[in-house]
Amino acid sequence: MTHLIRALLLGGVTLFAVPAAAQQTINAVMPKQRSANYFPLIVAEALGYFEEEGIAVNLLPSDTPIPFVNFLRNGQAHIAMMDSAEVLQAEAAGVPVNVIYEVMQTAPDGIAVSAESGITDVAELEGTVVGLVSDRDLVTMQIALDARDLTTDDVTVVVVGEAGPTLAAAFRDQTVSAIAGSGPDWLAIQANGIAIDLITPSEVSAKPGNTFVALDEGIADNADLLEGYLRAWSKGMYVAKIAPDVVAEIARTAVPEEWEDPTFGEQYLANAIRLNVSITDLAGDLQTQVWSDIQPAMQQFGLIKEIVDPAQFLDNRFITPANDWSREEVASEVEAWREANM
Amino acid sequence: MTPRIDFLSFAGRGVALTKHLAVFAALMALWEFAARFGLVDTILLPPPRQIAQGLIQLYIENREIYWHFWVTFLEALGGFLIGGGLGLILAVGSAQSPSFRRYVAPYAIALNVTPGLALTPIIIAWFGFGMSSKVALGAIVCFFPVFVNTLIGLTRTDEDTLEMFRSLGASRWQTFLKLQVPEALPITFAGCKIAITTALVGAVVAEFSQGTAGIGILMQRFAFALDMSSAIAALLSMSLLGLILFYLIEILDDLIVFWRRDRRMEAVGRRRQARWEAGLSKSRD
Repeated sequence: MTHLIRALLLGGVTLFAVPAAAQQTINAVMPKQRSANYFPLIVAEALGYFEEEGIAVNLLPSDTPIPFVNFLRNGQAHIAMMDSAEVLQAEAAGVPVNVIYEVMQTAPDGIAVSAESGITDVAELEGTVVGLVSDRDLVTMQIALDARDLTTDDVTVVVVGEAGPTLAAAFRDQTVSAIAGSGPDWLAIQANGIAIDLITPSEVSAKPGNTFVALDEGIADNADLLEGYLRAWSKGMYVAKIAPDVVAEIARTAVPEEWEDPTFGEQYLANAIRLNVSITDLAGDLQTQVWSDIQPAMQQFGLIKEIVDPAQFLDNRFITPANDWSREEVASEVEAWREANM
Repeated sequence: MTPRIDFLSFAGRGVALTKHLAVFAALMALWEFAARFGLVDTILLPPPRQIAQGLIQLYIENREIYWHFWVTFLEALGGFLIGGGLGLILAVGSAQSPSFRRYVAPYAIALNVTPGLALTPIIIAWFGFGMSSKVALGAIVCFFPVFVNTLIGLTRTDEDTLEMFRSLGASRWQTFLKLQVPEALPITFAGCKIAITTALVGAVVAEFSQGTAGIGILMQRFAFALDMSSAIAALLSMSLLGLILFYLIEILDDLIVFWRRDRRMEAVGRRRQARWEAGLSKSRD
């Protein structure tokens, strides 16, 4: 009888218990799933920052040639990570895109050469065969060559492909003198035993890399969700500034496949920290002048047809809220995590 | 055929064509109407008017399509000639020798069931940059239709006719050339029609993975830039290329397998008769 009463009481308490706050799910589409390349996500998850905001992050499958803006338009994604060219092309196509946060304020694109080649500048590529990781890297090569008064007529351009072994073989066999691609590509080359040097002109790297984009109606319907997501992301980014060793430890656990070779893992993360940590005072802040400065080169090489006023697509309403948190609190949480896990 | 019947036949075809054009025009008008009134997403599915503008831009204004068209054409044709040629050779060998067929057939089937897309990175690693990898993939995917159709055609010879050839003392080579090959040609050409369009698909898939020129690359560039009207214009160009390749084989089929069409049979018969008569009068002289 006593047991029955206890069971009934327990059941009754359970029925009337205040339910745990329901988490909202944010659907995000990014070029890679969870990766050290976008460490703010995995750090914010590990330290519970998304949970604090009442958010669960659902990453949509992203290994597709379909422009991510289509996932915003069909309502599958609340937020998408797009590079500057994709943003400008979407704007030109009449899609009401809004850049709400700059994820990488330095472009990850660049030009790599084999460390044994002796090539130190893009000007030395004249008359050689140069490779592209994909056809979309052609503009990177064009801008780099133009910075040295060269054109693609002065070189022979081939597409090498995205596979690491293929890229490494191209350098090993010296079938190409340089490759246009981005950070993960030449780190993959190095993982295959080929040492490389970067000869990227500043004209290529001085532009926003990836940005977070949402549509007008997405912002109207999900403002709180987006704000919480960006605040958690900013905190995750800040952890790399104060405790990169903690970020490395979190990455080793969250994405062990990127740490099979510890040296590669460290280099990959170091590159990701360089790209992801904002150079502006506020994390993710929108650099209006930079967006104006990059467009003439893009127009020259046919990436965009017209120059667009950045005011049409830059929306900084989330920047201040995304930076509205206590640095001291994050620092003490990081130390607590370090003590518990390292 | 009397002129009156000729005229009726021509008029009949004209009426049928007009009906087809009317249906097509109605569909285009409906599509344009839907786009104008916001019933379709014009960014993802531009109206016919914009696609027409895309075609004008590609073919008349900046004319960039021609080079890419030529590259893909060469890749598909090269792949077909190599893959189809290999298919023909192996099919002839398999038809002549059951042992050879036993050893070749499993590899041919395995190659056919392996998805071309899965082979693409390996093909590109083996054959490198440039057209060779596209031609190689085209050759691999178009090999099987030619091989299997030719093999079936060569091994399904009419038994009574075969017996007649034997009774007349025909050699193996004569039986092959004058009986098996003519009987196999119709089905071989059917395989070639499938193969050449499959070679186009293989070439375009390889372009998507690793290419700097070709209609596939052009379409990909436009799609990435959300210029869907130009992307669809490039897609239509791909279809046009496929039709050109298909009809090339159709023309060859018509020329070589002339006995299947009465009109062609009559024409060839008349030419042969004229040659024979000319030869006879020459020998009399």
